[in-house]
Amino acid sequence: MTFLRLLWLHVRIGVLNELQYRGNLVVQAVESLFGLASALLGLGIVFAKTETLVGWRPAELLAIVGVYFLVGGITRVVVQPSLARFMEDVRLGTLDFALTKPVDAQILASVRQVEIWKGIDIVVGLGLLAVSLARVGESVGAARALAFLGALAAGTTIVYSFLLVLATCSFWFVRLQNIFVIFQSMYEAGRWPIGVYPPWLRGTLTFLVPVGFAITVPAEALVGRLSSATLLGAIALAVVAPFLARRFWLVGVRHYSGASA
Amino acid sequence: MVSVRGLRKIYVVPEREAGLGASLRSLVRRRSKEVVAVDGFDVEIGRGEVVGFLGPNGAGKTTTLKMLSGLLYPTAGEVTVLGHTPWRREKAFLRRMTLVMGQRNQLVWDIPVVDSFELNRAIYRIPDGEYRDTLAELTDLLDLEGLLRKPVRNLSLGERMKCEVAAALLHRPAMLFLDEPTLGLDVTAQRRIRGFIATYAERYGATVLLTSHYMADVEALCKRVVVIHHGRLLFDGSLAALITRFSPYKTVVIDLDGPVGDLGRYGEVVSVEEQRVTLRVPKGEAAAVTGRLLADLPVADLSIGDPPVDEVIDRVFSEEPEPASTAATGTAAR
Amino acid sequence: MIGLADLYRAQFRTTLATQLQYRVALVIWLLGLVLSPVVYLAVWRAVATSQGGAVGGFTAGEFSAYFLATMVVNHATFTWIAWEFEYRVRQGTLSPLLLRPVHPVHRDVAENLSFKALTLVVVLPVAGLLSLAFRPTVATTPWAVLAFVPALALAIALRFAVEWTLALAAFWLTRVEALNRLYFLAALFLSGQAVPLALLPAPVRLLADLLPFRWFIAFPVELLLGRLSPAGALLGFAAQAGWLAVAIALLRVVWGRGVRRYGAVGA
Repeated sequence: MTFLRLLWLHVRIGVLNELQYRGNLVVQAVESLFGLASALLGLGIVFAKTETLVGWRPAELLAIVGVYFLVGGITRVVVQPSLARFMEDVRLGTLDFALTKPVDAQILASVRQVEIWKGIDIVVGLGLLAVSLARVGESVGAARALAFLGALAAGTTIVYSFLLVLATCSFWFVRLQNIFVIFQSMYEAGRWPIGVYPPWLRGTLTFLVPVGFAITVPAEALVGRLSSATLLGAIALAVVAPFLARRFWLVGVRHYSGASA
Repeated sequence: MVSVRGLRKIYVVPEREAGLGASLRSLVRRRSKEVVAVDGFDVEIGRGEVVGFLGPNGAGKTTTLKMLSGLLYPTAGEVTVLGHTPWRREKAFLRRMTLVMGQRNQLVWDIPVVDSFELNRAIYRIPDGEYRDTLAELTDLLDLEGLLRKPVRNLSLGERMKCEVAAALLHRPAMLFLDEPTLGLDVTAQRRIRGFIATYAERYGATVLLTSHYMADVEALCKRVVVIHHGRLLFDGSLAALITRFSPYKTVVIDLDGPVGDLGRYGEVVSVEEQRVTLRVPKGEAAAVTGRLLADLPVADLSIGDPPVDEVIDRVFSEEPEPASTAATGTAAR
Repeated sequence: MIGLADLYRAQFRTTLATQLQYRVALVIWLLGLVLSPVVYLAVWRAVATSQGGAVGGFTAGEFSAYFLATMVVNHATFTWIAWEFEYRVRQGTLSPLLLRPVHPVHRDVAENLSFKALTLVVVLPVAGLLSLAFRPTVATTPWAVLAFVPALALAIALRFAVEWTLALAAFWLTRVEALNRLYFLAALFLSGQAVPLALLPAPVRLLADLLPFRWFIAFPVELLLGRLSPAGALLGFAAQAGWLAVAIALLRVVWGRGVRRYGAVGA
């Protein structure tokens, strides 16, 4: 349980740190607010012109936006800032401090930086999901709730693995600071059901950048549109992906130690 | 060249307190206070003078330099530099002066040095012929050959500073404001830059106002020093006069032809190296002590001098007691 | 003028050399820029298809053309000055710029233009590739294509002046993100980037007409695609010119005051 202990430690440090900068709360609140506004305005304009978008009704699409905020918030609170700091450490050559600590370097690199205010997005996401469910007007049975949680966990794991792979690339290509920008813009594509995209882009957003698994699949689970085959596929990928990412990470660490020694 | 009268600068800074409660309170109410950085300061500097501008950290040196170069508006006072009021930043003024402050001002980080120079040539509209001559001259004086084609980020600190200084002087300014031009450099690089500044000032009759933590810079370059403390003028005159005025001691060095006993009764023993003893004695007693030393001991050689400049400066900075009108002058809620 | 042209040339070389150091970062960043219009393109194509082929006067193919043109115009006009300026004020790197005998705006104009000249080399082929994937349909006229050139030039100047002025807020605010976010949200919907303005409700359309945003994106795009009458084109040019004059006047006033404040609180 090193992982949870470390995470908790860094959450505490993160909270203390962030309280120093009162501006950050306001900035993040504003950012979340404008993100929400732009998502809702987009939906509003689209559904003024059509009743369904590739089979999704407005209330169901709200669930997609909800998951978009939820998963985005989860990765932005801890995973993205930590990995960004890790990449910075590689660039500046200060990674050695982390590698010599008596805990697993991958875990440390993944939880080291906590930006607590980004959690506002999680709250926004949960709120949107609640509104969506109320609007859809069906009760969510235990099976559906379980499928949603399973798909959400799977999606988050897949996204984490993907981000870890991106960050690991910095062992070879030092100047990659803005590689998360790509992920961010790809991720924004996930605000809409991936069914709206042409097949080549849909494939990219599912298997190359796993936005489909992270957002569309959990939302489908929640509104009861998900086939069990897709769910099983997502879970299978969530088992394989972190394993592969871990292997890649270890290769990267070995390359780094070899190069700097 | 430079004329300063009654210069004052007061900053209003927000107050920060430690602790969660205080941070939360400051969300609602910001407290601020006034800090007097420069507190009534007069100085006149003539054409071609190289003046050392001294004072402890926080004395107001950098603030003053920023006002003289035109970055800051003073709270009160009059300043004329090269016949202009600096903070109007008229082009005619900016073309004739330069401010060197820190290490990343003039040069573009990712490109070769000479390309940054080219950019400055265009910015200052230096005619081609003059640019070629100046560049050749600077390259020679600062030994830049070999550095010009390298990207800035690949240069060492000393190399970068040399290039920074060169870039700042391409337009042959008549007025130089140099804030710690040798900070963090090794001794060789310091000496090089020092020598260069002296040569430049002499060759072009340029006026130089420089701050430095290294007294070697000041000793080598400046006939005149201006000392400020707590934002006020403390001293203006030659370095020798500064020492005479602020050091109540003389240093007596003697070489003995025999065993070195305890010489504590003659004065404060600063050091003993084999047969050589260094004593510190009050200025007024120097003659008497010397006489006694010569009478009592087998003295082979004796010299009287002033203590090292660094020591005197330290004394000036630490002993000047009156905090006349500094620090907090009241708090106000905004 | 000769001095200024020389400065622009030197700045162009500098920017080019700097950017070429960051090729990978540049490509990554361009990918991000391309993706956003593709998202809206896909969504609106899907809407058109679900409505039996056309919505609000746009067929799927016309949506493709609209958003690909928007991508190019947005790229040609955008600036990053708001972030840059905040950094300059906070880190004090504005100070050396103030001590140069040339207005700092020239540096930014030159840098922006050089950057665009470099990146358009990538953006135009990308737009071409995307046309293969999204099959745009265009029915324009030669005069409209010709008129697009000055419209784009005015759009670049207008957006630059507006955003440079906005960036000066950094002189007064320690955190400018909130303001920037608000600006970009408004620009996203009112400039025609997220949706052709014809599809917006009437009151919002009126708002878009009155604000500067549409004149630096939607107007040149619609002009290029032959969606405007000659009268509409003239009105657009007038609006661009009027807003440009206002923006430049504002820029001068705000800059003067901002620098005064910067010099008072500590450069």
